[in-house]
Amino acid sequence: MDAHLDLEKLGREAEGAIAATKEPEDLERIRRHYLGRRGVLAGLTARLPQIDAPERPEYGQRLNALRDRLIQAIDDKEASLRLRATSTRLDAEKIDVTLPGRRRRLGRRHILGRTLQEVQDIFLGMGFEIVEGPEVESEEFNFERLNMPRDHPARDAQDSFYITDDLLLRTQSTAVDARIMIGRPPPMRVLTTGRCYRRDASDPTHMPIFHQVDGFMVGERITMADLKGVLAAFARQFFGPATATKFVPSYFPFTEPSAETLVSFRGTWMELGGCGMFHPRVLEVAGLDPERYSAFAFGWGVERPAMVRYGIPDLRLFWENDLRFLGQF
Amino acid sequence: MKVLLSWLRDYVDIPSSVDGLAERFEMLGLGVEGLDRFADDAVFDLELPANRGDLMSLVGVAREVAASLRGSVRSPIAAAGGVPRLDAPTAGEAAQGVSPVSGPASVEVHDPELCPRYTATMVLDVTVGPSPQWMAHRLDASGIRSINSVVDVTNYVMLELGQPLHAFDYDRLGGRRVIVRRAHDGERLVTLDGIERDLSPQTLVIADSVRAVGVAGVIGGADSEIGSATSRVLLEAAAFAPASIRRTSKRLGVRTESSARFERGIDIAGVPAAAARAAGLLREVAGGRVLPDVVDVYPHPVPPRTLDLRWTRVARLLGVDIPMSDGEVILVSLGFTVARTDGVLRVGVPSHRRDVEREEDLIEDVARHYGYEHIPEAMPVERTATGTRAPVLVTEEAARSALIRAGLTEVLTVSITDPESLDVLRLPAAHPWRQAVRLKNPLVGEQTQMRTTLLPGLLETARTNISRRVHDVQVFELGRVFLPRDGRVAEPRRLGILMTGSITDGTWNSPAESLAVTFYHLKGVAEALVAELRVAGAVFDAGQAPWLHPGRAAVLRVAGDSIGLLGELHPDIAVAFDVPAATYVAEFDLDRLLAESTLAPQYRPLPRYPAVRRDLAVVVDEQIPAQAVADAIAGAGRPLLESVELFDVYTGAQIPIGRRSLAYALTFRSPDRTLSAGDVDVVIAAIRAALERDLQAQVRD
Repeated sequence: MDAHLDLEKLGREAEGAIAATKEPEDLERIRRHYLGRRGVLAGLTARLPQIDAPERPEYGQRLNALRDRLIQAIDDKEASLRLRATSTRLDAEKIDVTLPGRRRRLGRRHILGRTLQEVQDIFLGMGFEIVEGPEVESEEFNFERLNMPRDHPARDAQDSFYITDDLLLRTQSTAVDARIMIGRPPPMRVLTTGRCYRRDASDPTHMPIFHQVDGFMVGERITMADLKGVLAAFARQFFGPATATKFVPSYFPFTEPSAETLVSFRGTWMELGGCGMFHPRVLEVAGLDPERYSAFAFGWGVERPAMVRYGIPDLRLFWENDLRFLGQF
Repeated sequence: MKVLLSWLRDYVDIPSSVDGLAERFEMLGLGVEGLDRFADDAVFDLELPANRGDLMSLVGVAREVAASLRGSVRSPIAAAGGVPRLDAPTAGEAAQGVSPVSGPASVEVHDPELCPRYTATMVLDVTVGPSPQWMAHRLDASGIRSINSVVDVTNYVMLELGQPLHAFDYDRLGGRRVIVRRAHDGERLVTLDGIERDLSPQTLVIADSVRAVGVAGVIGGADSEIGSATSRVLLEAAAFAPASIRRTSKRLGVRTESSARFERGIDIAGVPAAAARAAGLLREVAGGRVLPDVVDVYPHPVPPRTLDLRWTRVARLLGVDIPMSDGEVILVSLGFTVARTDGVLRVGVPSHRRDVEREEDLIEDVARHYGYEHIPEAMPVERTATGTRAPVLVTEEAARSALIRAGLTEVLTVSITDPESLDVLRLPAAHPWRQAVRLKNPLVGEQTQMRTTLLPGLLETARTNISRRVHDVQVFELGRVFLPRDGRVAEPRRLGILMTGSITDGTWNSPAESLAVTFYHLKGVAEALVAELRVAGAVFDAGQAPWLHPGRAAVLRVAGDSIGLLGELHPDIAVAFDVPAATYVAEFDLDRLLAESTLAPQYRPLPRYPAVRRDLAVVVDEQIPAQAVADAIAGAGRPLLESVELFDVYTGAQIPIGRRSLAYALTFRSPDRTLSAGDVDVVIAAIRAALERDLQAQVRD
């Protein structure tokens, strides 16, 4: 009985020591003390033969049970010590998450370039071919092939920068249309964007340099209804699905009939730009038979729609390249 | 043009309100630029199409309004009881362009091409005084100052009918003659505005037997002006060639109500009617006596024009079926005559519609009055096509995207520049960038030429931002420059980059100097760009440019050709331009870069066997470029050497003076087996030997 009582006492003593342990090293020491090869339990096991034979089996069982109990207690304690250590370390590693992040500087497109890209993408989706043309043009392509001979009053609205008597900075990207149409078999649907130049002094709504979008479509069945449909589709895509468009008569030497496109935006009508059916003379000089083919064409400046859309008050901001401005878009 | 509503109502019944009329004008294509409302009246300021001279008159506008209501206009000529009797010149007289004196005036037209029609009406015994109140009010509301009864009548009829008129004091005309001729060389004239003007032989003038008394169709002369003493008036109503008027008006810098109408073209058949209307009004308001014999020099009458309008073309062009009878009504109410035959309208064009030349012009009139809003929205029925982009736009976009991913912001700078911007770059006089394309008519004094380089625009961008305390400027521009080439202009594409300030934002506890942009940041962007575009054989070498720091400049070569320069801005320029010394710039030939790029990448198998890494320190003479060392290692390490990466550059203790240590991480790999230490040792030995032999290097691994 004494031996049994001793075991019980030993167990309580060991458990007390385990529970009181605070450091993993102490726990290891306790483990070695009780469960090591030369530990207390190993000693008791070695002395097993000295126990009276009738009591030996039960004593052996109790000894094993005690060993299991202690192993379990030590493992549990170890896990709990590890948990506490981790949590202490994590506590110590705490940072102030409200300090500013370390950012990579993101580059970005110029807002006008991005607007042009957006316009291109919409027309790309309608099967247009996106092309480019020269910024320095001849009288022939900038004016004459567009039915604007010398002394045409419509030239007044397009005061030009001349380089020679014949070469000038293009005043409209419609010049590209005149180039592209030559020698190509219809159908064609083409869109071009780029810089144009007019001798307008700089102010909040004018610059001698601006960007234009210009497109046309030639085919055997192209009508003004198609023009309205295509531009209305563009406007809905660019300004939003509820956008309404309105076409009012206008005058351009290279289209007949001609129209101005207006777009409803935030409760007002904004002039988008000119459009119409290519004048038969424009088709003729491009080598296209106006009896067989018809074409619609349209063109507008990109700055104004961008200004309206983003609420930009002054055209000159586009060209100043203040990074605080460019970074807003 | 200003249109007084109560005046307009003389010629057409307008049932709609002011707003309704404004809307009607808009839908007809007459833009309402301004609208002044009064208690019982309104003044519309209309923006008229450049080809519609006929609309520069109340009657012309009334005609549009009437047609839109499918009604008709009341002509003031009919209202005045018809036109006084006109004596047409005989055929012989007309052919010579000379009319005999019938009554007291003599008219000679020497240049019938520039003056296809000239009429002179004599009004005697006028009393020049103030106009009646109603006339003065109408003129005033239309933006024309009332002067005296005679001048006011000419202006009134011009506004009413669109025919500019001029009244001469007959007794101040030398020889009592009117000669329409080109000005003599060196001839001068003091015009009504008191300015003495030099005339040229391209200028058509109205002259008496001695001198010019007016610039035809543009502005009268001061000498023959109507004054209070005037009693005999020669009233001119004429037609002048639009192009000539336009050129003269531009050359003299004078635009008048008269020139604005003549340059758009007036109703040549209506000239005598306008003269008669003015004569009648003169009699009414200035008490004159109109001589019945009117001189009318009109040697080549313009025949009336007839056009066929095939009705199928209307639907073909507009995409909507409009009943032919509707078209007929529209055209008739606009003043056309229409005869209908089997699907075709035979249309007589009234003389005031000079703009109507072809079938399409008639279709436009039908469409306008039918209403553009009634044309449906359709989608083109054509062969389906995929949208495409010009290849250069695709590669340009790839370059742009790479630069943006490298953290740069795109800018757009103006392409018309100042020659001094090249002085700032310290370009020698003979530098090719000095050969700029010059503008003949610049707008602003110093902005006289097209850019030949993007750098000044980028420097300006840096300066603007830095002056506003935005110090971190890392920007690029893709754009064209302009170079003269055999009498034409070449427009090559360039890429410009500028970097200054710190490389990233939102940092703290990081020493500023470790974040400052250096030459190697700029080079890194350039390397990333050529890597993204997969430009084969791109090499950076030491370079030189007047605008770059001589020791910190590099050239980018592709296949041996220089395609651009990069480096630190020359310190003198940085000072002069007010930008930091640590400003780095690059400009590349974008056309060439794009041409050398390969956008369709090909798959390379991912490595299946592990790599072996070895570090190698190479001590070489300072003057040997790092590139030479890397090249030597790469050359000797083939084929197992996968990459050579520099990780340290050191001079100082333990390194002999005049030499430096370059430390490289070398990665070796075989595509078909795991390399052993022995395999790598063999390669390292070869590399070591090459470095020692070719570069006199000491090598430690």
